[in-house]
Amino acid sequence: LSVAGRPVARRAALERLPLLLLGFAALIVGTGAGLARLAWPMPSAMAQAAGWHGPLMVCGFFGVVISLERAVAVGRLWTYAAPLLAGLGTALALHGGGALAPWFYLGASAVLLLATLSVLKRQREGFVLMLAMAAACWSVGTALWALGAAVHEVVLWWLGFLVLTIAGERLELSRFMPPSVAALRWFAIIAAGLLLSLASSLPLWWHNAAAGPWAVHGFGVALLALAGWLARYDIARRTVRQRGLARYIALCLLSGYVWLAVGGAVMASAGLEPGRPSYDAALHALLLGFVFSMVFGHAPIVFPAVLRVALPYHLVFYVPLILLHASLALRLVGDASGSFTVARWGAIGSALALAAFLVVMLSAVLRSRRTGSTRPTMA
Amino acid sequence: MTVVNEHMVRDALSRVVDPEAGVNIVDLGLVYGIDISPTRVQVCMTMTSAACPMTELIVDDIHEQLAAVLPPDVAIDVDLVWDPPWTPELMSQAARSIFGWQREH
Repeated sequence: LSVAGRPVARRAALERLPLLLLGFAALIVGTGAGLARLAWPMPSAMAQAAGWHGPLMVCGFFGVVISLERAVAVGRLWTYAAPLLAGLGTALALHGGGALAPWFYLGASAVLLLATLSVLKRQREGFVLMLAMAAACWSVGTALWALGAAVHEVVLWWLGFLVLTIAGERLELSRFMPPSVAALRWFAIIAAGLLLSLASSLPLWWHNAAAGPWAVHGFGVALLALAGWLARYDIARRTVRQRGLARYIALCLLSGYVWLAVGGAVMASAGLEPGRPSYDAALHALLLGFVFSMVFGHAPIVFPAVLRVALPYHLVFYVPLILLHASLALRLVGDASGSFTVARWGAIGSALALAAFLVVMLSAVLRSRRTGSTRPTMA
Repeated sequence: MTVVNEHMVRDALSRVVDPEAGVNIVDLGLVYGIDISPTRVQVCMTMTSAACPMTELIVDDIHEQLAAVLPPDVAIDVDLVWDPPWTPELMSQAARSIFGWQREH
């Protein structure tokens, strides 16, 4: 019998709230920091964090959310050290402890890796191995960063963390689809392509050189292939025919896969050279377009799972999603045409999409309280 | 007095839906067994992923759905097991057709 076999008191679930809030603090400051980089006037706390935009989004927000989600799944107290360490890393980064912050994020990634390995012991499946590889990517990238590498030099590893986490989860759900040897074979080839691209960048560190172009282009090609795999084998192609929440999630996923393809194509063709518009385009197609579409889609089931609050589906959920896609499209048009002005308006649109997402989710929780619904709506 | 039978329990469990798949846990093949005694209903079930944070929520939902149909003096027990592991073959024909399986599978 697992501890998960008994109902968990709502109060216990709410004790997870401070951890999640640390993640959202990173999201809000990190977004403001990103806008400050694009010369939007921002409050000084955000403007001063301009150099921390990437780490706050990847380690501070996604790091906390993913490791908290994993801790809830594993159900052992020690696994909560991962979101806690990542949250403390954010607190340090924003309060003058910038030199220590990478080490706290590194600690968080190591605990996430251990938590995922404990899942692997319970369930020896390929998708759990993917989740463990993803956590390992977060560790490697963050270790290199803590040792002095620049963010743009480790961003490929951080992308590996997020992309492999999502890929692992989608692989798991693809088991609902008719069994296909081809699907598994292609998935293995694509995952190997991603990991080999990353690994090929490692030896260069010993020679004090930046990641080789082969690593970046290979990674881009693998991302493009992954988008094709997801479009072909993911359950979203089927669940999009359902109604309500299932359909909303499927549309988040399918639209996210389009951005995965775009980001992969840009990276495969233009590489990842910091300061160039293609760098901005590739990273934001992947992180805002692909990864945040996943966040928007899964928030209505992950928030209730983590916090035990009801978050009933509503048609208004589509508003932040449409805003996200439209603003990102604008940004990429700006990047492609060399118009910084258009790109930075796109960026502020995306920040508004994130704000709208938070407002919509919060108002869904409050609406359910008002109407007296006591339990999360599963359907 | 309400007589508790397996049909009634299964019916309540089929109101517990996996939100992403939009399919209930009975059709997904997650319910391994139902054991009914005069004082207790025990449900043995699995999940498709041990890395999924939704487990607690689904177990809670099972408790609520069963509590709504069972007499108050009947205890509810949900056993979560990982052995034997879930396989797609455990899905009902209804669930399979949603995901595009051919009939002969």
